[in-house]
Amino acid sequence: MTETSRIRNFCIVAHIDHGKSTLADRLLELTHAVADRDMRAQYLDKMDLERERGITIKAQAVRLAHDGYELNLIDTPGHVDFTYEVSRSLAACEGAILLVDAAQGIEAQTLANYHLARDAGLAIVPALNKIDLPAADPDEVARELGVLLGRDPSEVLRISAKTGEGVPELLRAVIERVPHPGGDASKPLQALIFDSAFDAYRGVITYVRVHEGVLPSRARIRMMATKVETEAEETGVMSPEATPISQLGPGEVGYLVTGLKDVHQAKVGDTITLAGKHGAKEPLHGYREPKPMVWSGLFPAEGGDYSDLRDALDKLKLSDSALHYEPETSQALGFGFRCGFLGLLHMDIVKERLEREFDLELIATAPNVEFRIARGEEVTVVHNPAEMPTPGTYDRVEEPVVFATVVTPSDYLGAVLDLCQSRRGEQVDMSYMSPERAEVHYVLPLTEIVFDFFDQLKSRTRGYASLDYEPWGYQTADLVRVDVLLHGEPVDAFSSVVHRDKAYAYGRQMVERLKTLIPRQLFDVAIQATIGSRIVARETVKAKRKDVLAKCYGGDITRKRKLLEEQKRGKARLRRVGRVDVPQEAFIAALRVDEGASKGKK
Amino acid sequence: MSTGIYVHVPFCPTRCGYCDFNAYAGLDGLKPRYVTALLREVELAAPGWDDQDVVSVFLGGGTPTTLDAADLKALLAHLGDRFAVAPGAEVTVEANPDTVDEAKLAALRDAGYGRLSMGAQSFDRTVLSSLERIHDPDSVHRAFAAARAAGYENVNLDLIYGADGEGLDSWERTLLETVALQPEHVSAYALTIEPATPLGRKVASGAVPAPDPDLQADMFATACAVLCDAGYGHYEVSNWAKPGYECRHNLGYWERRPYLGLGAGAHSYRQDRRWWNVRPPEEYLRRVGSGELPVGGQERLEPADAYLEEVFLRLRILEGIPASWVEPGRAEPFLESGLLELDHDALVPTERGMLLLNELVLALAG
Repeated sequence: MTETSRIRNFCIVAHIDHGKSTLADRLLELTHAVADRDMRAQYLDKMDLERERGITIKAQAVRLAHDGYELNLIDTPGHVDFTYEVSRSLAACEGAILLVDAAQGIEAQTLANYHLARDAGLAIVPALNKIDLPAADPDEVARELGVLLGRDPSEVLRISAKTGEGVPELLRAVIERVPHPGGDASKPLQALIFDSAFDAYRGVITYVRVHEGVLPSRARIRMMATKVETEAEETGVMSPEATPISQLGPGEVGYLVTGLKDVHQAKVGDTITLAGKHGAKEPLHGYREPKPMVWSGLFPAEGGDYSDLRDALDKLKLSDSALHYEPETSQALGFGFRCGFLGLLHMDIVKERLEREFDLELIATAPNVEFRIARGEEVTVVHNPAEMPTPGTYDRVEEPVVFATVVTPSDYLGAVLDLCQSRRGEQVDMSYMSPERAEVHYVLPLTEIVFDFFDQLKSRTRGYASLDYEPWGYQTADLVRVDVLLHGEPVDAFSSVVHRDKAYAYGRQMVERLKTLIPRQLFDVAIQATIGSRIVARETVKAKRKDVLAKCYGGDITRKRKLLEEQKRGKARLRRVGRVDVPQEAFIAALRVDEGASKGKK
Repeated sequence: MSTGIYVHVPFCPTRCGYCDFNAYAGLDGLKPRYVTALLREVELAAPGWDDQDVVSVFLGGGTPTTLDAADLKALLAHLGDRFAVAPGAEVTVEANPDTVDEAKLAALRDAGYGRLSMGAQSFDRTVLSSLERIHDPDSVHRAFAAARAAGYENVNLDLIYGADGEGLDSWERTLLETVALQPEHVSAYALTIEPATPLGRKVASGAVPAPDPDLQADMFATACAVLCDAGYGHYEVSNWAKPGYECRHNLGYWERRPYLGLGAGAHSYRQDRRWWNVRPPEEYLRRVGSGELPVGGQERLEPADAYLEEVFLRLRILEGIPASWVEPGRAEPFLESGLLELDHDALVPTERGMLLLNELVLALAG
């Protein structure tokens, strides 16, 4: 056990691509945690998926030894979807390096995570990265940071994580400026789970920060929120490979092999204590159930793959405690699952893992948020547009809103304000970080963000604006369900809940898009968008009149027959909605939210 | 068993942009060897066909009339030596208007080619140039008159509708000019875009618009009306004839009677076997030259294949299929919507149904 006065627990807070992983590599080298010959770029980002997307999903804690100090570097997820996970990682630290790209300047994610870190009471060590870049403007960005932190710009360190310049000074500053943890070894054990992972061989591994007491290597422990008890198998630290140790003392950070087989029994934010009478009476505060914010139906493209999809989700859930799913039956798409995700990125990651690791071809319905339907005192929660009741049968609908932070070059401020305004945003405040850069806060309906907000923001600001947001409760809204009917039959997969002011435009867009996607049939097919019984848009796919091989002479009957057989196979791949045959691609294309928007902006 | 013989001549003066047949421009130097090879293939293929009555011979291409009349005469004579060609057999030769004159046609008729099938395609100059045809409308008139002068009493005119630039009016004028000539037989094909042709690539790149299927449907209806008014019977999706002048050779394909194909890429059928010769003329010459049958591929028809063929071909020639072949309930929607009608106990496509024949076939036999 290390004396708490010799421990520093810290994390790196940075916008995506501002160099967090590269800095972590330099820290590993500087502290000789990894032998030179074993070093590789982005060492800590172990999962393939993480490395490809340039983000870190799973937090990890690495113990570094330097100048007689035990330094625990706690890696935080860097994306808006994982705000809660970020907050738990921050709760395991006393300090944070606020890392800003000296060429890019402060971004929305920097701000959002800085505010989280400050609110968590962390000591902030500001640092500019990439000072070796020709485009770097360290003086200006240091000035911006000084304004943000209320400190003298000279306190901002300047480094190049790539070349290593300034990194020793930064490490020194961490030791000097970040306070050591508290904690009393004689008190009952309270250890915070700030991350958990599933290992195929060892089961659930949690990453913990001991706040009070001692966590021995083998002990009977209890998860205070889930009330699960288990025999812990091993404690250890990552340095950076897993190294077992006999116990973790107050202020220390490490891993615990729990002996559990399901991540849901050891949840992020929960408190571990000892089972029995030596256990703590109270958990650490701040535990929250991970709550899905975005929902989407996932259906196998081939109906027969349903059980494969179910098995894949069951497996994925072992390592992803935030993933929710329940069976869903769609008239149009057959058997599938309604899945809940932390956000759009989480949704993309899950979908990609299902397709890649489990070799499934999926159709995803348009993402939607969760709505609360109030009837008098009674409130029902729906997370599927199909469950949205018809107007007039309820008192009001509430939708989730978020507190959004947008940082933009001043030149694009007007465009950003227009976008937020058009998405039913309520401006909270606005300020200039410098004459060139502005920061705006809006309360925005989450459903607007889910519907291509980010794409629009990027396109209207040429990619310069950045966005971060956090959940901000619910608000009453005039929302209606828009249904799409093919030849009089509602297609549940196309239903969507939208604001009444936008229902007409949405209905028109869907109907026009489908008109180009539905092949001509033997009869006229009406495509209608409706709100309740009212038709708001209509198009017709005219009946097909000609489908015959013109020529059938010269004796090559084989080819004609093969053409017919090919046409027959094509028909077998169609999905039938009422009397209308709809190709798979029509579902995929019609449900792609960004399609219409990206066409419009070019 | 009555049998047909098809002979393929793959030479053309130029290649038309829409054509995906086994035809080549610029290979004229191969003609003498090709004629020799055809005579040789007759020798190789004839054994085993001696129990068959040959009721039709069809020389197609390509452009068979790019060969000398003497060669064509020798070929037919040779077929007569080696096969039991029935007296009164229908013997057709395809011709392009610009490759024939009265003298040549008279020679062909004397040689025994009693039926002439001429690629008129259109009487509209714009349409002909859009199809990259080298002839103009006048040469169709000239060639047709020459055919009559040479004694031809059984002439077919091939037409194509729906090319870029052709409207319903122009198509109707082409039809009226056609019937004014009083050919015994008319074939009218909707232009089909084949991907592996110059026109197919132009359509894919957007340089030329794809044919409008609705306009082609209207054109089909116009053809039905004009030709029926002029006394032609509609006996196959794309074929009309004066009574008694239906093409026996083509009916053989559609009625699934046996046929032997000779020449590069020609197809053959007998019982449950379909096979086809190699397509490239050089390879055909090499194979025949070394004394072997130039077969490039073959297939055995499973009962399901044969059934699908039977259904789609019977529907094409308006013979229809017995209602008892079809599972109950499958035909009713089409009878109600007027795509099929019952003729005695046969399900027969209506005029609208013929245009949607693929759908009907898949619904009834799929």
